[in-house]
Amino acid sequence: MMTRIIERLPAGSLGWLVAHELRLATRGGKATTRVRIVRYILLAAFLIAGILTAVALANVPIRPDATFDAGLLVAAIAATSLMTTQAMIGTQQTLYERGDLDLLFSSPVAPRTILRAKLLAIAATVMLTFGALSLPFVLPIAIVGHPRLLGFVATLIGLALIAACIGLALALAIAKAAGPRAARTVGQIAAGLLGGGFFILSQAIGRHSNESGFEAVFRWVQASGWADSWWGLLPGRASFGDPLAILILLGGGILLFALTGAAFQRLFQSGFHDAGKHMTRRTVSKKGIGRQFRASLFTSIFMKEWRLLIRDPALAFRIVLRLVYLIPLTIVLTKNNDVPIAPGAAFFSVLVTGQLVGSFTWLAISAEDSPDLLTVAPVEKSTVEWVKLASALAMAAPLALILPIVIATETVAGALVTLVMTAIAGTLAGFIELKLSKPASRKTFARRRSGSLAAGILTMLVTFVFGGIAGVLVFVLL
Amino acid sequence: MNEPALALRGVSKSFDKPVITNLDLTIEPGQLYALLGPNGAGKTTTLRMVVGLSEPDRGRIGIYGIDTRRDPLAAKAITAWLPDEPMLYDKLSPSEYLGFVAGLWKIPPEEAAPEAERLLRWLELWDVRDTRCEGFSRGMKQKVALAGALIHKPRLLILDEPLTGLDATMARSVKDALRAQVDAGATVIVTTHILEVAERLADRIGIIAGGTLHAEGTLDELRAMAGEENATLEDTFIRLTSPA
Repeated sequence: MMTRIIERLPAGSLGWLVAHELRLATRGGKATTRVRIVRYILLAAFLIAGILTAVALANVPIRPDATFDAGLLVAAIAATSLMTTQAMIGTQQTLYERGDLDLLFSSPVAPRTILRAKLLAIAATVMLTFGALSLPFVLPIAIVGHPRLLGFVATLIGLALIAACIGLALALAIAKAAGPRAARTVGQIAAGLLGGGFFILSQAIGRHSNESGFEAVFRWVQASGWADSWWGLLPGRASFGDPLAILILLGGGILLFALTGAAFQRLFQSGFHDAGKHMTRRTVSKKGIGRQFRASLFTSIFMKEWRLLIRDPALAFRIVLRLVYLIPLTIVLTKNNDVPIAPGAAFFSVLVTGQLVGSFTWLAISAEDSPDLLTVAPVEKSTVEWVKLASALAMAAPLALILPIVIATETVAGALVTLVMTAIAGTLAGFIELKLSKPASRKTFARRRSGSLAAGILTMLVTFVFGGIAGVLVFVLL
Repeated sequence: MNEPALALRGVSKSFDKPVITNLDLTIEPGQLYALLGPNGAGKTTTLRMVVGLSEPDRGRIGIYGIDTRRDPLAAKAITAWLPDEPMLYDKLSPSEYLGFVAGLWKIPPEEAAPEAERLLRWLELWDVRDTRCEGFSRGMKQKVALAGALIHKPRLLILDEPLTGLDATMARSVKDALRAQVDAGATVIVTTHILEVAERLADRIGIIAGGTLHAEGTLDELRAMAGEENATLEDTFIRLTSPA
């Protein structure tokens, strides 16, 4: 379909380029028949759930009020922060993975048109992601009995455009400020921080109350009076079809898009040129070369995995961020039930270490940069895999010791139990990755579960079970 | 009796269609052997089976008399593989990479370290030995990979399109390195599209087309087969690989 649209548009025009971008974006990797069937089943279930919800709400009056406005404002802030993160990552991918930028910039198409096409493509990707999650519910509800909710589509487009512009501006500004050498790493860390920002903020706000993070932010927004301000009302009103709110939100998005295209053209081009420079600090160590050569296979592989991890700060940061996301699970388990700290700490220790070992094992085995080198080496494949699993355990070990030391101040036996459970869960998590995950690139770490959903679910299950056992045993031992 | 450096007997391999069909090939030790063939002829598939990256559907492969299926680790221990895309880690420096490769091939540190220094100096990488490979040019990366292939002193060195993307100076140093390996007693097998390289460098040349060995011999022998005594290798190659 997209090819037919491209054929009808003037070659080299903005529309033509956007259609080209969308054609590329919609041509994902080949999926197996089984994966496709699972996808169709999930999609059908999602659509049916949306239709059933729409039927159930058909005669229920849905009107904007103060609570709704505050809720929608919080949801809009959360969604915009995630959309902006996605747009930042999209901009970085456009710049650093280059793709077709070399071709486009060497063609007689105006750089401003190229930037606008890329920006629109990023906005469309953001919109499709959030639309896929929300529209199967919102559209049936709107069609069945609440047509004013069609305004949600305009809200989504407006927010996606605004987020794409902010994301692009942030990514380019960071690239400029950090310089060509550090631009990529700083940009990735900033995107990670922004993505987790709402979540971390919500946890910080809710840390002294019994509410969830979202509830705490909701109360906070209500108390602040933001939801009553004209701009705070915009997402809610636009979603309920208020023409003025739609005009402001959508018009603002379009205006921002036009301004961004004009204002950031130069920065985009300089970012593109800088991205082409592979700047590496040239160093020569005064220590002899002999220090690089080890007698054991384990040390050789461990050192390689360790170096690859610590030399990729963005990846290390993502791993830490994933662990931060696990904090609420522990808070929920301890905050509401007067549970002492030690059992919660035991649970968290096992959970985090298991996930950490799973991540390290995935990086070492699935995301191996040179699998052919290991295949042609005179070492059994199983030996390499077990050594890599041991390396992953060794890398996680220092972190796995922190909470047991805290627990030891209350119960030494409990600390030992936690260590044993941590070791078992970590080994099992690594083993699951070893057996189930598929080869992938390190840069796909954030999406690694798409490689093997089963590995992700099993790892979570194992760490939960052994974390629970550790928590209960420590509770009994106290 | 000397075992051949490489012996393929009745090797076949199919993917969605047959790629290699009943291939017999013998390469004697101490030679630089060029494997030529049109695109899709099965050169890379053949070599990937030799180094253990792919399994033949049928047939046997022997490296210096070692059956690669029966004792793959022993065969791998004396073989090095250098594909056209270097098997490197961008975040490692050349010295760290060589340390890792030496660890995989279980070379004692007291042997590996001086050999690494010799290779790094010889390939003009000594000044960048502690610089990460991510900023290197393609030629420099290829030289680091070559050092990695040579660190364990392989008896059989197999290179797939080793000169792709290299400038003239880099290409010369790689060619010199290959000739030096042969002079030192190793066997080198290269695939290349650059027929001039094969013409000047190779002791023997094999031409694969359609998954079988079409012709094999010295350049003079190939010319004789093509029926043109003073023809260039390019003419000979085209004549031998063109459908009758």
